[in-house]
Amino acid sequence: MSEIPKITVDFFSLNFATIAPMIIVIVAALLILCIDLANKHLDKSLYIILAILALLIDLGFVLGFDSDTRGFFDLLLFDGVATLSQVIIIISSIFFMLLYFNKLKFHELNYPEYFALYLFAVAGFQFMVTSDSLILIFVALETSSMALYTMIAMHNRLTAIEAAIKYFTMGALSTAFFAFGSMIFYAQTGSVELSEISQVLTASGFNNYTIVLVGTCFIVAALAFKLSLFPFHLWVADVYEGSTSALAGFLSVVPKIAGFIVALRFFEIFIIHNDKFIEMLLYVIVILTMTIPNVIALLQNDFKRMLAYSSISNAGFAMAAILIGTTQATQSLFLYWIMFFITNLGAFAILWLNRTKNYTENSDDNLKKYKGLIKTSPLIATLMGIFMISLAGLPPFSLFWGKLYLIGSAVNAGHLILAVVMILNSAIAAYYYLKPVVFIFLNEPENDTLKLENSTSIIKFVVITSAIFTIFSIFIIEPLLQIISYYTQISGF
Amino acid sequence: MDYILSILIFFPFFAAFVGFLVNSNSIRVYGIITTFIEFVISIIMYINFDSHNPNMQFLQNIPIIPSYGINYIVGIDGISLFLVIMTTFMTMVSLIALSERKALKNLIITVLFLEMTMIGVFVALDAVIFYLFWELSLIPMLYIIGAWGGKLRIYASIKFFLYTFFGSLIMLVGMLYLGYVYYQTTGNWSFNIQDWNMLILPFDLQLWLFIAFFAGFAVKVPMFPFHTWLPYAHGQAPTIGSVILAAVLLKMGTYGFVRFSLPLFPDASSFFVIPIAILALIAIIYTAMVAYAQEDMKQVIAYSSVSHMGVIILGIFALNVEGISGSIFLMISHGIVSGGLFLLVGVIYERRHTKLISEFGGLATVMPKYATIFAFILMGSIGLPLTIGFIGEFLSLLGFFRTSPTLALLAGLTIILGAVYMLVMYKKSFFGEITKEENKKLIDLNKKELTALIPLVTLIIFFGVYPKPILEPANYAVSKMVKIMHAKVLDDDTAVKIVNVNSIGVQK
Repeated sequence: MSEIPKITVDFFSLNFATIAPMIIVIVAALLILCIDLANKHLDKSLYIILAILALLIDLGFVLGFDSDTRGFFDLLLFDGVATLSQVIIIISSIFFMLLYFNKLKFHELNYPEYFALYLFAVAGFQFMVTSDSLILIFVALETSSMALYTMIAMHNRLTAIEAAIKYFTMGALSTAFFAFGSMIFYAQTGSVELSEISQVLTASGFNNYTIVLVGTCFIVAALAFKLSLFPFHLWVADVYEGSTSALAGFLSVVPKIAGFIVALRFFEIFIIHNDKFIEMLLYVIVILTMTIPNVIALLQNDFKRMLAYSSISNAGFAMAAILIGTTQATQSLFLYWIMFFITNLGAFAILWLNRTKNYTENSDDNLKKYKGLIKTSPLIATLMGIFMISLAGLPPFSLFWGKLYLIGSAVNAGHLILAVVMILNSAIAAYYYLKPVVFIFLNEPENDTLKLENSTSIIKFVVITSAIFTIFSIFIIEPLLQIISYYTQISGF
Repeated sequence: MDYILSILIFFPFFAAFVGFLVNSNSIRVYGIITTFIEFVISIIMYINFDSHNPNMQFLQNIPIIPSYGINYIVGIDGISLFLVIMTTFMTMVSLIALSERKALKNLIITVLFLEMTMIGVFVALDAVIFYLFWELSLIPMLYIIGAWGGKLRIYASIKFFLYTFFGSLIMLVGMLYLGYVYYQTTGNWSFNIQDWNMLILPFDLQLWLFIAFFAGFAVKVPMFPFHTWLPYAHGQAPTIGSVILAAVLLKMGTYGFVRFSLPLFPDASSFFVIPIAILALIAIIYTAMVAYAQEDMKQVIAYSSVSHMGVIILGIFALNVEGISGSIFLMISHGIVSGGLFLLVGVIYERRHTKLISEFGGLATVMPKYATIFAFILMGSIGLPLTIGFIGEFLSLLGFFRTSPTLALLAGLTIILGAVYMLVMYKKSFFGEITKEENKKLIDLNKKELTALIPLVTLIIFFGVYPKPILEPANYAVSKMVKIMHAKVLDDDTAVKIVNVNSIGVQK
């Protein structure tokens, strides 16, 4: 028997700095749990402030990175894309966290675990974008997903339990797909690192192409669940409907950007080699994801369900950027998602403001509730109108610039059909975004039941901030583009 | 003077914001005063405008997204000059005559927003900024039709919005592609129309881009068969909505053809002359016949608008200085005339709450002033010589006569058909016995309405007798544009065609 060689690990080679941002969040989450052990009667506002504080420190650390850094046996990869997406994740998490300063009492918000889970989920997303190792991505994906399932289930309603179970079972399936796909890649290339997988596959000239394809299909399916791409989008509407608006808004923005980064890193392997099959697969997925939920959204009478389908369609738009694969497209992915976040934050925050205490089956966010809102609360109505018009892609509001840059990158890359499909979908989408506008502005109020029961000045602050950014986004596009192009270029996308 | 165009654009915008603070009782006066100031600013701009200079004047260029070539560029030339003045004038007139009472504050603020977008469209020289104002104009119009309109107002407003939105999205792809072509050619991004004018595009690319831009403009004009939103929009819109829609919003489409399609795609424009002329002819003749069959006064005018817009399109695609200048003149005259007619229908609707022709008869005896003014504006609409309507129609048809005499003669039917449906409507409602009891007590025009309508009548006659102030700057700018087109054409046949149709004889 030969002796196993002694492994020595130099502490500094681990490069602890790369993990520090996530550690901060996790420690803060544990701290929240410990505080609760000591004193059970603290107000939720303390936990919210602690969480936001942790996220702010986290943000500071993340901003400290400005070049490729690897750590923990190359498990972690802190490149430009990771930094940029972490910044988006953290800032949007802070804003969605602010929404919990609400007035009504909610079951789940009485538990400090809710805020701890929130932070665990954020840490999970941060790990997801900061790695190109399939194993770490897997673990991170699970961390964040588990936290989300629980957070949804904690909402004390029948629809919430249904949503959580649905999300959990589907998520479990996607986890299995991801594990299986990773296994195939490991078997083929002897590595779980995307950069090494890419190198080995390229060197071998995509040896055993069929098996690679099978593995790819599994990973695509897993990512499609997370990104709510067609045909794995079926959970979205129910999950959003079952969650509170604050959580649904979070779900529509933050997990997706983490998923996009994984998809960006993964599909890069194939797109730089002009793999026709994978491109075709993505093409079909993108086009169907944009179109089918869009058509279904036309039929929705519930505001949140409508926004759910709209966010699926928007995920399809952003996914198109990955398909196009040029530098401009990668930049437009980030620009699009930042613009989408700005608008969606406002829209969901207004839904959250309008949350009522009395629960009637399915009446929660029925569009009819918003009839004649312009008469009862003109400011909120106007802002909601602006958010809807921004989602529809009318200039000069935020999402228009995302669409402009994205469609521009499709046109420039010669993907004219894709551009036309995007245009057609924007036109279809305009109809259902107009529906709430019509209800709010053009109908007479039916009953004056709609009151801003859940409103606090902090939520109003969030709404107004996001409205200001939505309206004056034209002035932030140039600096944003410069930041985005700096970070994407240093990581070679 | 350098900033005067920006002042023109943003003064109504800030006025709208201040409007929120104004007391509801005085909002009407506030609206009239601000639109009057805006009109005065546009007149000051006109006084400082050099009519003999065919170039863009009062240029202003502020970078917005320089890395993607998007800049705030505004400027004005003889083509857009009077469109801007017509916009400020018609907005003012429509506010003077305003008879709505419901949620007046919202209405006036919306109109001020709309004024900003309309002026923005006519002076923007960056395609993205143009598109921004172009799309932004949909929102206030959607609100005006949807909130103050008739029974089917929501259907009408959504139809209006979706039709025009879809058309312009296709145009957006064209713009993005053109920006990309510019990038490919020069290595820089630019959405500046004047930069784009330097490009010489291959023929097949011109065709596709022409079609993309056509989608945006044709729906807005509206050309046959994209016109079906218009009768609904007009039918349901309140008076002020119809006035602004007919007077200004429709002109955006025809202006787009002159500003973008002709100089950017000269070969494609020449290629599409006959198909577009046929569509325009169908619009002219078919909608004139439809107008004749209408029972509602407003619908008659709405369809007559589509018909007249057909003549404007013909003038533009005559591709010569007479035709294009004539169509620019016709855009302005149609703005004044159709705006006036809608105001007049608004007057009678205000008194009787019906617009059906069969409800009236013998109005001339009870409302003599109304009948006289109606007659004047109607003459302008028919295109009687010495009224504003004649010059533009004559020049447009004359211009197109060089391109195709047969089609021009057919288009000449518009004058006859126009006279038929308008005069029949006039006869039915104004002459004969008063059959309805309610009509006997109708009150004639009041001071407010006279203040709005008399300037219109004055202009209709003044420019009918002396069209030079409008035609001169237009001629200079259009001559320059035609020279650019001629210099850019790839195909020799097209070059010959442009020389042949232009009496001034452009030399290559």
